[in-house]
Amino acid sequence: MNIVVLVKQVPDTESPRKLKSDDSTLDRAAADGVINELDEYAIEEALKIKEAHGGEVTVLTMGPAKATDSIRKALAMGADKAVHLVDDGLAGSDALQTSYAIQQALGRTGFDIVILGSESTDARTGVLAAMLSERLGVPQITLANKVEIDGSAIKAQRVTDYGYDRVEATLPAVVSVVEKINEPRYPSFKGIMAAKKKPVETLGLGDAGIDAAQVGLANAATEVVDFADAPARAQGQIVTDEGDGGAKIAEFLASKKFV
Amino acid sequence: MSFIETEERRALRAAVAELGAKYGSSYYVEKARSGQKTDELWAEAGRLGYLGVNVPEEYGGGGGGIGDLAAVCEELAAAGCPLLLMVVSPAICATIIARSGTEGQREHWLPRFADGSVKMAFAITEPDAGSNAHRITTTARRDGDGWVLSGQKTFISGVDEADAVLFVARTEDQKGNLRPSLFIVPTGAEGFTHTPIDMEIVSPEKQFICHLDDVRLPYDALVGDEDGGLLQLFAGLNPERIMASAMGAGIGRLALGKAVDYAKDRQVFKAPIGAHQGVAHPLAAAKIELELARLMGQKAAWLYDGGDDMGAGEAANMAKYATAEAAIHCVDQAIQTHGGNGLTTEYGVGMLAGVVRLMRIAPVSREMILNFVAQHSLGLPKSY
Ligand SMILES: Cc1cc2nc3c(=O)[nH]c(=O)nc-3n(C[C@H](O)[C@H](O)[C@H](O)COP(=O)(O)OP(=O)(O)OC[C@H]3O[C@@H](n4cnc5c(N)ncnc54)[C@H](O)[C@@H]3O)c2cc1C
Ligand SMILES: Cc1cc2nc3c(=O)[nH]c(=O)nc-3n(C[C@H](O)[C@H](O)[C@H](O)COP(=O)(O)OP(=O)(O)OC[C@H]3O[C@@H](n4cnc5c(N)ncnc54)[C@H](O)[C@@H]3O)c2cc1C
Repeated sequence: MNIVVLVKQVPDTESPRKLKSDDSTLDRAAADGVINELDEYAIEEALKIKEAHGGEVTVLTMGPAKATDSIRKALAMGADKAVHLVDDGLAGSDALQTSYAIQQALGRTGFDIVILGSESTDARTGVLAAMLSERLGVPQITLANKVEIDGSAIKAQRVTDYGYDRVEATLPAVVSVVEKINEPRYPSFKGIMAAKKKPVETLGLGDAGIDAAQVGLANAATEVVDFADAPARAQGQIVTDEGDGGAKIAEFLASKKFV
Repeated sequence: MSFIETEERRALRAAVAELGAKYGSSYYVEKARSGQKTDELWAEAGRLGYLGVNVPEEYGGGGGGIGDLAAVCEELAAAGCPLLLMVVSPAICATIIARSGTEGQREHWLPRFADGSVKMAFAITEPDAGSNAHRITTTARRDGDGWVLSGQKTFISGVDEADAVLFVARTEDQKGNLRPSLFIVPTGAEGFTHTPIDMEIVSPEKQFICHLDDVRLPYDALVGDEDGGLLQLFAGLNPERIMASAMGAGIGRLALGKAVDYAKDRQVFKAPIGAHQGVAHPLAAAKIELELARLMGQKAAWLYDGGDDMGAGEAANMAKYATAEAAIHCVDQAIQTHGGNGLTTEYGVGMLAGVVRLMRIAPVSREMILNFVAQHSLGLPKSY
């Protein structure tokens, strides 16, 4: 099984994140880069599928040179090899362009299954799975919290507001995962030592067959017009218990979709 | 020469820090206060190979060095989980067995050090010998094709959770200066008893007095030569000092981190207290001391892993001294920065005082290191 897992490097959510004032793109140099949290679950799921069904796990990352740290970590967790799509021409790409660039790179790796996080912590558009499956012409299974592979069939449970749906598709397919799906492993010491020796292929626009006129900030379909700092965290709401405190709290949690 | 650790070492630190964060101070303190052990963390770190990074690859270990093990120890301590037995079990005992053990001993013990499934305590300190190891009286008598061991040890850490203890003894015909012989004694051996010592340190690991009352051992309980000299012992004691230094560095970072967070947040006059130089400068000074001490620890590990035992000895002693002092200053200033909260249970700073204070005493005291440096580094005459 040829398993490709998409890994995005994002600024550490623990450190302050900023947009640049000149071009309104994310200031990636200002914060430590880490693997997008949900992508760790995607990696774990990819490794589990490989362990159960055999095959190979390829990490695919589009991002600047410093994203190699995140690629190494994915390899240390157990992925077999990586493709790093890196080119100044890609900087500032929007979701539409990112899905195009990744589609082109997938043309080089091939795939039976593409696994990705259902949302990134920096841009949070949550659209990549849908855009990719459309471009690739394969089924999409999004928000999966359980995945099972049976021959060429893939069965999954996808999280919904009311519980979950059971869906089934035929491979090849695109699957995006949520954090309930598994518990990502920590890289073992042997994994860390082995990671450096695993192949990482670096692709520029030309190598991946990406048309430069279709990517990058200048050609993006969307534009960030304005932005502002997030407002300071507001004072919490105090619920006075007049016999119905429990119900009020449950109501609040339900309104925020926590329960 | 580079003062920056390798990519792998940094990746190891990041991975261990993440594991440590999953457990954290609250886990460690809860275990300590309820009389339990940090078994879950130990087991998970073991499975990931973090506790066996220094065990040779052919025995299932990571094939790394003491510098890697020290990085693991420091990161766990910085996350609030200083694992005292890391200083003893994989650092001293596994190193001595890997270096001086027979093939049989290596095959028996090393794979289990590699995954942390075995713990071995280490016993050198005696009530009447203390800092003067030459005076130890624990004695091994030959008995047919085995040994009989008698004596008493004190302050031995982790005997209750260890599978065996590595004892430093002398053989019966040896007098005068110590030519140590090392014996592995299973904790269940007949005639071996241990009694806990009440200590004023918040730690899941306990200390014990050990009595050896004619404990019979097979011949292969002996590790290395029966009077193999100090070198085979020092093979384990340099790692011990490097690890103690790493643990101190981790606790220093933990305390400093808490102090900085608090100083940014707490405001009683116009600005956060961290803006007052009376608060900021001592924290900055402690940070400088800590970084200098860490650097010496890394140098010691680098020399040791490069095979320079003599050079490593001086650096390891200096690192142990400097990190203990730096960690004490970090914790003291963290307590001061927290005001009254510095001594509350909730903030978890006050309870670090006992642990870092210990580092000025064990595994080798501040004074004995100063003696070493005065005599060996400076060439001054010896007073004792
Ligand atoms: C603050 C901010 C706001 C933005 N707003 C918009 C916007 O409104 N419209 C727009 O079109 N673009 C926007 N972008 C651009 C966006 O970052 C990129 O298009 C991005 O590569 C894809 O969007 P996403 O991260 O939201 O994807 P999501 O769909 O949220 O990510 C899902 C998964 O896709 C995978 N993935 C995403 N990007 C990569 C990558 N580069 N390499 C490998 N795998 C990847 C990961 O597995 C990730 O978990 C914004 C960026 C920022 C920083
Ligand atoms: C929590 C804890 C855990 C420990 N774990 C272990 C363990 O696992 N295994 C083990 O074997 N031991 C262990 N020890 C023992 C530890 O190594 C000793 O306590 C330490 O070496 C000091 O020995 P001592 O306590 O006998 O002090 P002493 O040797 O009695 O020294 C008392 C004081 O006199 C000073 N002093 C002594 N001689 C001189 C001199 N010549 N010049 C200047 N000053 C001098 C010392 O520096 C010290 O300040 C542990 C101790 C503690 C507290």
